[in-house]
Amino acid sequence: MAGVRLEHVYKKYPGSDNASVKDINLDIKDKEFLVLVGPSGCGKSTTLRMIAGLEEISEGKLFIGDRLVNDVAPKDRDIAMVFQSYALYPHMNVYQNMAFGLKLRKFKKADIDKRVREAAKILDIEHLLDRKPKALSGGQRQRVALGRAIVREPQVFLMDEPLSNLDAKLRGQMRAEISKLTKRLETTTIYVTHDQIEAMTMGDRIVVMKDGIIQQNATPEELYNHPVNIFVAGFIGAPAMNFITGTLNEVAGALRFKAPGVDVVLPEGKAQALRDKGFSGKEVVLGVRPEDLHEEPVFLEASPNSIVTANIEVAENLGHEMYLYLNGIGNDTVIARVDGRSGMRDGTTVKLALDMNKVHIFDKATELNLFEN
Amino acid sequence: MASADWLEELRHILDADLQLRSYKPGQWQELETLADEDPELFRQLPDGAVAVQGTADAQRADVLEIRRARPLGHTELRLIGWMLGAMKAGKAAPAAPTGVEKQAASLGAWIMEQLERPQAEMLPEALTMGGRLYADMIPFLLIREYHGLVDEPYAELEKLLRSFFEEEIILLPLQRNEWLILSPTAPLSDSLLDSGEEEESEEESLRSIGLGLHDMLASEWLGECHIAIAFPIQPSKSIVETTALLRETVQLGRRFQIGSSVHLPWELHLERLLSAIPEGDRARFVEQAFSRSDYYVEPEIMTTLETFFSLDCNVSETAKKLYIHRNTLLYRLDKLKQETGLDVRLFRDAVMVKVILLLYKVTKRP
Repeated sequence: MAGVRLEHVYKKYPGSDNASVKDINLDIKDKEFLVLVGPSGCGKSTTLRMIAGLEEISEGKLFIGDRLVNDVAPKDRDIAMVFQSYALYPHMNVYQNMAFGLKLRKFKKADIDKRVREAAKILDIEHLLDRKPKALSGGQRQRVALGRAIVREPQVFLMDEPLSNLDAKLRGQMRAEISKLTKRLETTTIYVTHDQIEAMTMGDRIVVMKDGIIQQNATPEELYNHPVNIFVAGFIGAPAMNFITGTLNEVAGALRFKAPGVDVVLPEGKAQALRDKGFSGKEVVLGVRPEDLHEEPVFLEASPNSIVTANIEVAENLGHEMYLYLNGIGNDTVIARVDGRSGMRDGTTVKLALDMNKVHIFDKATELNLFEN
Repeated sequence: MASADWLEELRHILDADLQLRSYKPGQWQELETLADEDPELFRQLPDGAVAVQGTADAQRADVLEIRRARPLGHTELRLIGWMLGAMKAGKAAPAAPTGVEKQAASLGAWIMEQLERPQAEMLPEALTMGGRLYADMIPFLLIREYHGLVDEPYAELEKLLRSFFEEEIILLPLQRNEWLILSPTAPLSDSLLDSGEEEESEEESLRSIGLGLHDMLASEWLGECHIAIAFPIQPSKSIVETTALLRETVQLGRRFQIGSSVHLPWELHLERLLSAIPEGDRARFVEQAFSRSDYYVEPEIMTTLETFFSLDCNVSETAKKLYIHRNTLLYRLDKLKQETGLDVRLFRDAVMVKVILLLYKVTKRP
C-alpha cells in the first residue's frame, strides 16, 4: 500500500488559454479514502485521470509512495481503476474478465485462480463466474469491475463515479459495500463523485473542487460545520444552506444582522470576531442550514433575539421530517427542515428561530467565511 | 528490455518486489549512489529500493527497481548487474522487425498512400498478409492521445491485443500513435450467439467490444486513446475506404462527443452532414441562431440539453440522470423557451436546438 502526493499539479489542454486544473497540492495518506467532489467541469476527473496516468501532467509532480510517477505508464503505476462506464470485456466471462490483468502480468495460474475466487467471494459473485457480462445486471457488472480491480491488489484504487449508472437503491447499497471493502482491504482509495451524499458517507477526507481549484480539503464533519466559503457551504448539504444578503449593524452594544424580514442578534463571540475584522456596518451574506431554523416553542422561547416570521409556500412532508419552503426571510426562498409531525401547512405563517451559534457569515465580495478565514 | 518471463523468475529467486521502469534522461543521475557500487549501474531510490540500470540511450534508460525487506548483498547485486549487462549486449542493436511487422508496416504505408488519392487502387496480392485479408474482420482505428510516454514496441501492442481478442489479429501501423486493428469476428459472433433472451444488436455488440478494448488499453497500455469501430469488412476489398471512414469518425467524435473515447460511425451521421456544410454558411447560421440568445451555451443548460437529447427527450429519465427534481428540469426548459423562443419538448424545436448545439461545437462561438 502507499500514499499519493500531488505537488503543484496543473493540467492545461493544448489550444486552451486556461488550465483545467490549477496548482493542486494533496497528500493522501496510506489507507486513506479520499473523495474528490465538485460540480461537472470542476477538474476532479481530470485530477484522477492524471493520477491514473491516463492524462499527461502539464506541470507539477505526482508521487505514488515515494516514487515520482509523472512519466510512468498506467500499467506500471500499481494502481487499479474503476470507472462509471465499467466497460467489461464482452467476449470474456466474469472469471476471465477478472483474471485478464493478472494473466498479462504473468501470474501463475494457481495464484490467479486463488485471487479471482477470493475477490468473487468478497463481492458475492462466485455464482456468476461463468457468465458473460451481458447476462449480468448493472449492479453485478459493477461488482465485476470492482473485482477486476481488487484482484490486482494494487497500492491505490482510483474510482471515477463508479456508481453513477446504478439506480438509487443499488447505489445506496453499493456505496456501503465499497466503503466496507476498502476498509477491509486497507487500500488507499481516491474516489471521484459529484454526489455529496457519497462524499459525506464514504470519505475519510473530502476535497471540494471548483473551476480546477481546491476550495477546501477537510473531513466530512469539518466541511459541513466549517465551510471556508459560500461555494463549499452551498455544495455540501441537502437541502443546501440558505443564504441571506444583509447588513451588520451595531445597535445598543449588540451586533445585529438585518435583511428584509430579518433582524437578529449575533452571539457575542461571533460578533466580536466580525467587529475585529472590521465588518460592522458592512454588507455580508448570512448562511444558515435548513436544520438550524427551529419552530419548536422551547427554542423560540430560548432565542427571542433570532426569531423570524415567514410564509410557508410549500410544506413537503417526507414522513420523518418536513421541508418548509418559506418566503419573507431575505429576498429568496429559504428552506427549513422541521419535524415531520410539526403539522405545518402550505399558505400559513410560521415563526422560526435561527440557531445563531451555527450561522455563518460570509464576506459578500470575497465569499469567504469570516469565521473560518 | 521487455517485461518477460525472466522478471518473474528473478522475482522468485530474490524473493523481492521487482519493477521495470523507463527513466527519462537525468532521472538516473538524481538518485543517490550506493556505497562501494558502480554508480553507472546501481543507485538507491528514496524509499530504499535499489535501482539497476539496464539498456540506456539518449531518450531513456530501462531500470530495474528492487524492493526487499532484507538488504541485497554485494554478490546478489553483481549477479543482477551481470545479468542485465548480458541482456543489454544482446539488445545492442534494435530488434529487427519480424516478418509480420515488416508486412504490417508495408501495408500501413500503402494505406496511407492510398488515402491521399482520389480513388484507391486494388490491394496488391503481396500485401494481403498471406491471404488473411480475404476473411471478414472487425476494423478498429486506434489513436493514442497521451504523448508524454515513450513508444511501446509494435510487438508489445500486438501481443496485448492478441491476449485481449484471444486470437490472432492484424495490427497495421499507419503513423506514429495511429494503428488500424483488424480482429476476427469471433468476439462479435460470440456476443450475438450468447445474447439469449435479450437480443443484442450488432451495433450494441460492437460498442461493447470497443468500450472493453478502450478500457483495457487505457489501463494496461499507455493511457488515453480514441477508438473508432466499423462493421465487419473483408479488408482485401475495402481496407482503404474503411480506414478513411474510421479516421473521419475519430475526427468527428473528438469534436462532437467530448468526454467519449469510443466512436461509432453510425452515431455520427448528423455530425458528418453538418461538418460538410461550408464554413461560411455554418458561421452565418450560427450567427443568426445566437443572435437570439447565448443562453444555450451556459454550462448548466448545455449539460441539461445534451442529457435530455441523449435520453430521447424523456423528462423523467433526464431529471433522474441529472439528479434533479422533475420540476427543476421543467423550470429550466421553460426558462430556455422564454429566453430563446424554442421549446425543446416539441420535435421541431428540439431538432433546431440540437443543430445549434452541434454547430456551436464546430464554430465555438461565441
